[in-house]
Amino acid sequence: MNGVRNWIQERIPVSGVELAEVTNEPVPNHLRRWWFCLGGTPAYLFVVQIVTGILLAVYYQPSPETAYESVRRITEEVNYGWYIRSVHKWAATLMIASVILHQMRVYFTGAYRRPREINWMIGMCLLLCTLLIGFTGYSLVFEQLSYWGATVAANICDMIPFVGRLAKQLLLAGDEYNENTVPRFYILHAAILPATMILLLVVHIALIRMHGVSELKFEDETDDGPGHYDFFPDHFYTELIIGLVLMILLSVLATVFPAIMGPRADPLTTPEVIKPEWFFYATFRWLKLFSGTFAVLSMGFIVFVMFTWPFIDTLLRRVTRIEEISVWIGIVGVFLLVALTTWEALVPH
Amino acid sequence: MPDEAQDAHTDLSAAENADRTGRRRVLGRFASFLMVSGLAAGYGMFAALIGRFLYPNRDFSGVWQFVTDLGGFPVGQSLLFRSPRGQQVVISRLKDDGNAGDFVALSSICPHLGCQVHWESQNDRFFCPCHNGAFDAAGQPLSGPPKDDNQPLPQFPLKVENNLLFIQAGTDRLA
Amino acid sequence: MQLRTKRTVIGLLGLLFMLSLVLVQALEVAHRREQAGLAAAHVIVPASSQSCVTCHGQPQQSPGIVDHWEDSTHAQKGVGCVDCHRADPDDVDAFTHYDAVIATVVTPLDCSRCHPKEYQEFEGSHHAKGGNILASLDNFLAEEVEGFRADEGGRHFFNPHSPTPGRPEIDEVNGMASAFVGCQQCHGSKVGLLATDGTAITVDDLKPDESGKPTNLAVLDKLEKDEDGRPKFHPGTWPNTGIGRINLDGSLGSCSACHSRHDFSPRRARQPENCGKCHLGPDHPQKEIYEESKHGVAFRDLKEHMNLDAENWVLGQDYTQAPTCATCHMSAHSRQGTPTVTHDAGQRISWSNRPPVSAWLDTDAEGKIVTETDPDVRRELVVHTAEQKRMNMKQVCLHCHTNDYVNSFYKQYDDFVVLYNEKFAKPGQAIMAELGKQELITSTQFDEEIEWTWFYLWHHEGRRARHGASMMAPDYSHWHGMYEVAERFYIELIPQAREIAAHAAKEGKQEQADAVNAVIDEILARPEHAWRKPEEAADEE
Repeated sequence: MNGVRNWIQERIPVSGVELAEVTNEPVPNHLRRWWFCLGGTPAYLFVVQIVTGILLAVYYQPSPETAYESVRRITEEVNYGWYIRSVHKWAATLMIASVILHQMRVYFTGAYRRPREINWMIGMCLLLCTLLIGFTGYSLVFEQLSYWGATVAANICDMIPFVGRLAKQLLLAGDEYNENTVPRFYILHAAILPATMILLLVVHIALIRMHGVSELKFEDETDDGPGHYDFFPDHFYTELIIGLVLMILLSVLATVFPAIMGPRADPLTTPEVIKPEWFFYATFRWLKLFSGTFAVLSMGFIVFVMFTWPFIDTLLRRVTRIEEISVWIGIVGVFLLVALTTWEALVPH
Repeated sequence: MPDEAQDAHTDLSAAENADRTGRRRVLGRFASFLMVSGLAAGYGMFAALIGRFLYPNRDFSGVWQFVTDLGGFPVGQSLLFRSPRGQQVVISRLKDDGNAGDFVALSSICPHLGCQVHWESQNDRFFCPCHNGAFDAAGQPLSGPPKDDNQPLPQFPLKVENNLLFIQAGTDRLA
Repeated sequence: MQLRTKRTVIGLLGLLFMLSLVLVQALEVAHRREQAGLAAAHVIVPASSQSCVTCHGQPQQSPGIVDHWEDSTHAQKGVGCVDCHRADPDDVDAFTHYDAVIATVVTPLDCSRCHPKEYQEFEGSHHAKGGNILASLDNFLAEEVEGFRADEGGRHFFNPHSPTPGRPEIDEVNGMASAFVGCQQCHGSKVGLLATDGTAITVDDLKPDESGKPTNLAVLDKLEKDEDGRPKFHPGTWPNTGIGRINLDGSLGSCSACHSRHDFSPRRARQPENCGKCHLGPDHPQKEIYEESKHGVAFRDLKEHMNLDAENWVLGQDYTQAPTCATCHMSAHSRQGTPTVTHDAGQRISWSNRPPVSAWLDTDAEGKIVTETDPDVRRELVVHTAEQKRMNMKQVCLHCHTNDYVNSFYKQYDDFVVLYNEKFAKPGQAIMAELGKQELITSTQFDEEIEWTWFYLWHHEGRRARHGASMMAPDYSHWHGMYEVAERFYIELIPQAREIAAHAAKEGKQEQADAVNAVIDEILARPEHAWRKPEEAADEE
């Protein structure tokens, strides 16, 4: 046994003890509450997405002639294809939901404040990447709704002054949907965006490690007990539990509500009811509420404010002298988001 | 841990204590065993499904296709059949019994490493340019690596119905 | 949580995960069995229709309709009873049936909730207008010649003239019986709800708006309802699945005319037997013509190979063995940019062989045939040209025939139609018109022998000939067609017209008789009639 260990040690000169020390950071007690693990959930789901995504890519053929047929073949012919595809779809849904919840938790606990402003902004980038990867993934099916969703989204891009047309052309590989559009979405979905997200995630997690997880005390906690517990194995077990619960949830969702296929994309007929995926409902409703350019610009402004929120927050607190101003603004924001999403979900047009 | 703290304060006899720690160790082992086997079962089965997912389940052996009628195909003749997938098949008639056993349908794919063989009429043999393999008209190896390993040219399934000859060959086109 | 507890939880969750994957595997196996045809396709009963299926599925109820539905694609996709039968409370035929507001008749407007394209195409088609036959000659035959039609406001009944043994309750004869059972089962009825005075409340009384809701609410008080509050249908107008049915909501047609309820089988609609419910018989034997043609012969032989269950059934992709009625007139084919079926069966027809004289199908914005002869005015009026419709048809032909072949077929067909038009149809029409103009026959149809003669000539024999030519059935073109047209023309129509003229002359209407004879003489002097030896022609005079 020792011989083998020494042999490996000699070639890979990393000491197990050191490695344990580096990774085994102390975890603050408040992480025993599940809602503080919402950051780990999207990370776990991201891994699920990479695994199932690679599997789907084995059979998927990214061209407008073959895309729909290959998805149909995955769903109907390949062994367990429907399961893998459904897991991919549901993991995407859960990932976006948990990213949003994670961001809300960070926001309402003020965890973005000094010195964690940069990490908030990286988180925002991750959010945008997640939404974009969700959008491009949906477009790959090449069914009616995803086709028209992509067309509409590209034309919304077009409304942005100055750069809009360029953005649209870059997205669609031309002025309208053409034979190069699907490969472009595919590369974005399966290579560029995931790679970007991995890089951002590494920085995101590294920064958390360097700053240490922000600590919170709850009223029912006594001051005298130890404030931390071990990552290994204690918190690791928690993550394992979360992972298994997610896997069970995904399998059940995949069997009860499997991913189905709409009609094939038809560039000549727009469906009667056209809607994006649920996570764009709020945006879609917002765009329908206001006229073109204003809607797009206001949307951009909102994203900009969210991006720079840590600095705006500091400024606001200094000016208004209300410590909890961000909470009140946050409540209004969440209310708006929920209201717009529900509104869009309930009406046909 | 709260219950551990409680334990420390409770007054227990040494024997009882030893008994308890022993039982706790067994329970701990059992928990570890359960965890490892649970993880192995769950993720192991997931991996098995992935394996099944990756394993191709389509049948590429093709469909029965009409070749010719037996009347127009005398013994000693051969013809070239090209399947919709592009496979080149040399079909020769060796006997006159009127059943599928009369014929051989030779694939033009060398059994050695999969190159295309071609018929050399001047030498009366199929020749594979990759490693100088050669086969006779019935597909038996004459020289080269196929001869060393005694590998004849592969054959396609044939059948005769109503005096018509059919071959089972691929229909999916690659390009 | 203690570490030991966590480990136990992880272990149990791992096993649970495995169990969920066993469920996945079970579904996969079921899916494969279904694909291999070992298990029946899965039926999804939506919650809203669960109680319908349970109750109607009982042996003492109507299990047939439930069985039919279970074999349908609707059932596999989770489209249940209520999805089609559901109604708004303010629909005129709506009633509450165990908590669900439903209607008995499912109209094309109902189907359009999911099939808008099919609905639009169908509503624009000639098929949809099949119900507008009230003023036509055929309807006159069924309602008056064969039946009894009272004057405005009267009841269309007369008294039996002797008792029917065993049926003492028969005290009146329904004069519309032949129209209801004959004409309207193909053409479609004007669906009516029973009014308290026994009359029918139809779309004319309800004046529905675009969404099918009645605007004339006054008539609703007159509705006859049963004890459950369910409106009753006028028994002459329902049951009816005629293709041009005029529904209570104002929509035209009945999808179940071709897509039989309740399995809505596209497979059946693709087969000629389906069209043969109406397109057969002495006046338009399309079904028999098709069966005689090479197309029909090939279909009978190769039917099993034609992928009739295919989802889109695209000619050139799913099959090429033989065309059915649907193939040529409606179905998708591979030469369309995006292969799509049309539910307007007239989009590929270039001649209308329905009228006495065949009409070239240049149609205006409303789909009516343009009869104008001035080329400039024509250009203004024509929206859909017959040439375009013929092009549409040729796209189908070209799957199996060369361009030259198809064009030469059309040349043969055109020549045949023009020959019939010019040699018999237009002359016959001219003679009948002259008889009417000179008032030697009454304006009432079918009360003189020559009117039956002329009707046989164009409506039966003339159509048989032209339809035979259009669909490559030589025996129908000739022996059942032109041969009989010629016989009817020379041996019956001309002599009968001469006789009427002679009779008129005897009665002192010499001028009128001369006018009719002049028309006949002019026609018979034409070169195409000159084969008749002069003495025979003289005999007749």
